[in-house]
Amino acid sequence: MNRLLALGALILLAGCGATTTIDEYRPNNQMMDINSEQSVVILGRRDAGHYDTDREFIDCVASKMEGADIGVFPEQQFVDAIYPWFEPRTAPKGLKRLRRLMEDSAIKEKIERNGIRYLVWLDGSTETHDKGGSISCAIGPGGGGCFGFAQWEKSSIYEAIVWDLTNLTEKGRLRVDSSGTSYLLGVVAPIPLLTPVKNDACASLGTQLKQFFTVDQSQ
Amino acid sequence: MSKTKIIILSLALTVLFISGCSSSAQVQIDSQFPTVVSKPKPVNAAIVFSEEFTNYIASPNSKTSIDLGSAQTKLLSNAFAGLFSQIEFVSAATDVTFDNALVITPSVQEVQVSTPSDTYLNVYEVWIKYSLDIQTSKGDQVDSWFMPAYGKTPDSFMLSKTNAIEEATVIALRDAGAKLLLDFYRIPSVYNWLVTEQIPHKNSKRGSHSE
Repeated sequence: MNRLLALGALILLAGCGATTTIDEYRPNNQMMDINSEQSVVILGRRDAGHYDTDREFIDCVASKMEGADIGVFPEQQFVDAIYPWFEPRTAPKGLKRLRRLMEDSAIKEKIERNGIRYLVWLDGSTETHDKGGSISCAIGPGGGGCFGFAQWEKSSIYEAIVWDLTNLTEKGRLRVDSSGTSYLLGVVAPIPLLTPVKNDACASLGTQLKQFFTVDQSQ
Repeated sequence: MSKTKIIILSLALTVLFISGCSSSAQVQIDSQFPTVVSKPKPVNAAIVFSEEFTNYIASPNSKTSIDLGSAQTKLLSNAFAGLFSQIEFVSAATDVTFDNALVITPSVQEVQVSTPSDTYLNVYEVWIKYSLDIQTSKGDQVDSWFMPAYGKTPDSFMLSKTNAIEEATVIALRDAGAKLLLDFYRIPSVYNWLVTEQIPHKNSKRGSHSE
């Protein structure tokens, strides 16, 4: 009986794994050098009407990069340091506009003074869809409980674009596509079986992204 | 515990619970704004911040009020300082001391707020519609420029209505600063005034940051 229960639990937990795919594009195989005095800034795209790239995801990717000894400049500090040129209305969407922006000596000087070598644009969102089932909970004088079953699917699609702020070139692109189904079982107590779709997307993107960089320890 | 105490406690809890469901919001904007990174043009300007503007409280609907005056004055002072090399802030157009300058009087035309219950979207949004009355110090009208600004919260999860509207308003104010720096010298009448006054404008990169 115990073995059957353990097998059932294993099947249920295995069903909660996210499926993640990463596509990588790099114009060449050159590693991107970064020394201890330089840093990377990870910025979220916020110009779309129906979604914002969430700060939680950006912080998560930043923490993965920091774990590899890559200096990460805080997003809000960067946006404030060169206000208003990276606001949703004014942020450069392409290299052409970045080059024009960097012709401004005041902006260039701010970026250089803060030691920012690379800029990573993150664009995407996590969405919930295909909700199904129902669960209801009740409470009364004799106690309470939940009964039913609900499920939903989440998908995280994010794209990262890496710009070199010294050469003003694009160094590569990464796209992560992660999806998975979560369940909520109501058997007196509600039992959530959640698939960490966004965490999986973040871990995969962060791991892949830090492989782009080579930390130069000599300086 | 006596029966009376239980009833009083229950009533107090009910009142607390119901007041928590109240949908009114009085928002005070206290945020600090970053200094703009910008090389001002060699233009003199006087900015008229009227008392009405500096103490402005928006009432986009009967249940919401936003105390914008102080924050918008700070934000626009900072943004205008990035546009003009010589600048003075006055409370009335009659107080302007510059001889050859632009005299700019900002005013708020309208503030709109939308909440998830209005739009069924998962965000709070704020629109601020500014109008800039632009004259020369001699009193000639240059333009009356409509300047809309927009801000929204990333989502509405775990945000109280007051905090959400405050966050969206701060983003809208930052957007107003961005719009001003990006587009002010692109206003045709302002550009023509610069040409007439022979103020160097072609060598400057200001206003050419966007595609």
